[in-house]
Amino acid sequence: MNKLLAGVSAGVLAFVAGGAALAQDLPGKFEGVTIDAKLIGGQQYENLYSRIADWEAATGAKVNVISKKNHFDLDKEIKSDIAVGAVNWCVGSNHSSFAPQYPGIYTDLNALLPAEEIDAYVDANIAASTLDGKLVMLPRAQFDVSALYYQKDIYENEDNKAAFKEQYGYDLAPPDTWEQVTDQAKFFANPPDFYGTQYAGKEEAINGRFYEMLRAEGGEYLDADGRPAFNSEAGVRALNWFVDLYSAKAVPAGTTNYLWDDLGQGFASGTVAINLDWPGWAGFFNDPGASKVAGNVGVVAPPKGSSGARTGWSGHHGFSVTESCENKEAAASLIWFLTNEDSQKLEAAAGPLPTRDAVWDWVIAEAADDPYRKEVLQAFQEAAKGAYPVPQSPSWIEISNAVYPQLQAAILGDKTTQQALDDAAEEAQEILEDAGEL
Amino acid sequence: MDENAGHRLKRSLLKAGHLIGLFLAMAIICLPGFWIVLSSLRPTVEIMAKPPVWIPNEISFDAYVAMFSGVGQGGIPVLEYFRNSVIISVTSTVIALAVGMAGGYAFARYRFRGKTAIFLGFMLTRTVPGIALSLPLFFVYAKLGIIDTHFGMILAYVALNVPFTVWLIDGFFRQVPRDLAEAAQIDGCTRWQAFWQVEFPLARPGIASAGIFAFLISWNEFALASQLTRSTNSKTLPVGLLDYTAEFTIDWRGMCALAVVMIIPALTLTFIVQKHLVSGLTSGAVKG
Amino acid sequence: MRGWKPAPHVLLLLPAFIVLAAVVVVPLMLSLYSSFTPFRLTRPDSIYTFIGFRNYERLLTDKDFWIAFGRTVLLLTFALNLEMVLGLLLALLVEKASRGQRILRTIMMFPMMFSPILVGFQFKFMFNDNIGLVNNALQSLGLTDRAIPWLIDGQLAFISILIAEIWSSTAVFAIFILAGLMAMPREPLEAAKVDGCTPLQSFRYVTWPFVMPFAFIAMTIRSLDIARAYDIVKIMTDGGPAGRTEILWKLIARTAYSDARMGLANAMGYIAILLSILFTLLFFRQLAKARQQVGAEW
Repeated sequence: MNKLLAGVSAGVLAFVAGGAALAQDLPGKFEGVTIDAKLIGGQQYENLYSRIADWEAATGAKVNVISKKNHFDLDKEIKSDIAVGAVNWCVGSNHSSFAPQYPGIYTDLNALLPAEEIDAYVDANIAASTLDGKLVMLPRAQFDVSALYYQKDIYENEDNKAAFKEQYGYDLAPPDTWEQVTDQAKFFANPPDFYGTQYAGKEEAINGRFYEMLRAEGGEYLDADGRPAFNSEAGVRALNWFVDLYSAKAVPAGTTNYLWDDLGQGFASGTVAINLDWPGWAGFFNDPGASKVAGNVGVVAPPKGSSGARTGWSGHHGFSVTESCENKEAAASLIWFLTNEDSQKLEAAAGPLPTRDAVWDWVIAEAADDPYRKEVLQAFQEAAKGAYPVPQSPSWIEISNAVYPQLQAAILGDKTTQQALDDAAEEAQEILEDAGEL
Repeated sequence: MDENAGHRLKRSLLKAGHLIGLFLAMAIICLPGFWIVLSSLRPTVEIMAKPPVWIPNEISFDAYVAMFSGVGQGGIPVLEYFRNSVIISVTSTVIALAVGMAGGYAFARYRFRGKTAIFLGFMLTRTVPGIALSLPLFFVYAKLGIIDTHFGMILAYVALNVPFTVWLIDGFFRQVPRDLAEAAQIDGCTRWQAFWQVEFPLARPGIASAGIFAFLISWNEFALASQLTRSTNSKTLPVGLLDYTAEFTIDWRGMCALAVVMIIPALTLTFIVQKHLVSGLTSGAVKG
Repeated sequence: MRGWKPAPHVLLLLPAFIVLAAVVVVPLMLSLYSSFTPFRLTRPDSIYTFIGFRNYERLLTDKDFWIAFGRTVLLLTFALNLEMVLGLLLALLVEKASRGQRILRTIMMFPMMFSPILVGFQFKFMFNDNIGLVNNALQSLGLTDRAIPWLIDGQLAFISILIAEIWSSTAVFAIFILAGLMAMPREPLEAAKVDGCTPLQSFRYVTWPFVMPFAFIAMTIRSLDIARAYDIVKIMTDGGPAGRTEILWKLIARTAYSDARMGLANAMGYIAILLSILFTLLFFRQLAKARQQVGAEW
């Protein structure tokens, strides 16, 4: 009994001491430790990794990057590792939309880092990184939520203003509700030369767009018991927004095949009036070498649905520490370092959105002399307030894959909206049952 | 006289038709590729323009400069990718050709039991869908510890290319009349000498085309490479292409620039190797 | 033991055997086994649950699977036949050219140097209904004032994919057929000419029988070489919209990795292998027949 008590108190002491040591001198000293890491690769993400050398210099540890891959291939690789029991590395890039798929392999960071450090991140991002009470990842400055880009001059054109007022009975201004988007998109559309708006049409992309529209209409994707509930009235309203614009030819006919690259190129070509898109495109749209609408781009927060809530499907990248990692303190120190203020400033300076309160303030202050950048940041900060991640089900991606062909079928007119949603809900139900989640 | 002129007219018409056909075919082949090359040299605003900009206003090498300027300045580790691609493709092609020549020669020149079955079995290994193979292969490689190594990639590509190098080379050896080699042996050559001095030169067009084909398959292969490579230790150029994609954005111009870097060596090599195809002409001469 | 010497053909075939066994046969056994389990990547333990033929039973009644199956056969049939005809024409055109052979042959193989992912992106952008090259050209030339939804309409999307596929792979046929043409002895052709055959006749009775085996080799290789079609379809339409262009290999890949249901995906894979075997056997018999026709020396 005594022995047991002693063991427990020693454990507690060690824990407290460990925590305190970290709080005082993060990043700490880890002489002789080597951390194996799997990181997301690609231009946009790799700039940050120059900071790894700084961490190595500060702590005396070494980082061995054993894999650097694109988002989707990294996902495949981690799943393969789980399948063959080869999770023998320490630090991995993670994403809030993918994290629920890897139950159990990542450790709870609350136990490794002091609470005041975790408080410094934006609360919504921490909430999206927490699964079943475990903080599985630290968010880096790669936060994505959408805002509405539009072409300024068509809103300033006096003829447009007069004609719009006459037709719809209210003043033409950048939209604040999705209903206004519908009106304006139809008003501006002049196929095949010019379109009112466009939307992503396949894979997780359209399912995500449908999901946020559903929430803005007051519906739920999965109900409190985790059952599919998107074939509700709100669901029909949400999906009808897509169907309506498609049948009115206010969006390009190819929109059901578009992914993010097509959307970005389309808006940059100057043939689309309004475009809900990600922050990564902000610089591209305003670059005269890349975009025809450069200098003519306005940005506002994402519009509201009939429930009064803004759409706000979001996701962020981050880093996780594996359960099987031998030196979790060192690993936690590394991922803290890669997401601390200096690191986030480094990333956010290039355009992506930060996930620390202090860095938000900093980027906005930095943008004081740049009206476009300021407008962008304000719109996205407003969007971030109402942002939420995808439902935290391990089967989310699988459900997406089953649901999106049904959404497309409704948009193309192969099925009625209700029929498509019912079929999709049935498939989603089956997937959740097969996965043992229901 | 009249008939003669009509004949000549017909001939020149045929010739013109041939030239026009050739030109059209080449144009269709080149245009999409040319468009990629052009995309790497033009500002993106002109590529995706509507109304289209047909004649580039401005040519720049910015995308290439950026590619080599190192990580963090829009660059990617292109030199490492390039090195890996060269090592893996060249080695695996050479091995696949050697294995294929041995196998093809056996099929063409020896009689043995179960020949057809074995031959068919070889071909059927190619019918296995890559996806059914990729995870188990990954599993085996992970156990052997050859994930993310040149060796692992070379092994996989040799297996990928062996079935058709065997087949193709077999076909060409069959075309070489058996009595030629026998005659050489009667003249005092060993079988080995007869092979290199008589049969090999005659089968060269087949070996050359199998070689080009194997090389291009390895050079461009993506599905297996994305599964079996992980870092700059072994990542190849096709996998590197995806460095230009982010979650929501794609740098199409950068991608095209890397594509050009991939195409130039392949094109050069093809240009050099394909002259061996010509030796087929001499085979006619030998027989005639 | 020391005196034992294996027959030369065994020695010659050994390397091919070893490589194929290591890389193909062993992993294949593993995946065959997993097709009888509910194996999910994210739950490695599930590989030990044996469920017999349940995956296969499920697939036999899965409508989507069989539609994709049928579409794949259709795509393969169209693509292979068109590629063979075009490849033959191309090879003949190039072979007839009196000058610039090296350049022409290199250009002929140009599409083979493009990675399939790149071909996918390239044709996706070209067939984009709003800003794509094809619609832009048609609109500039005044041929249409609509934005043709190339990748949306089921048939047009099939055609677009077919075009991308043909563009990228006709070269394979062309090079094999050209290699055959180059290896062809001259004197039968000359003899045919002396006998008063028209060019068409001498092609039909002399050239084609000689070249046919190579065309069939190319065809068989191509019918197996599905990876290219997979990458192209993946990027151009990803099987969509609404499953209008779903092909087998894409369906399998999605089931295996995105849905992480490896067991089911492998079962699909084995049904799909039947398809490949069928194609292979078909061509193989044709090839054997063709060889017999050419003459006794085969």
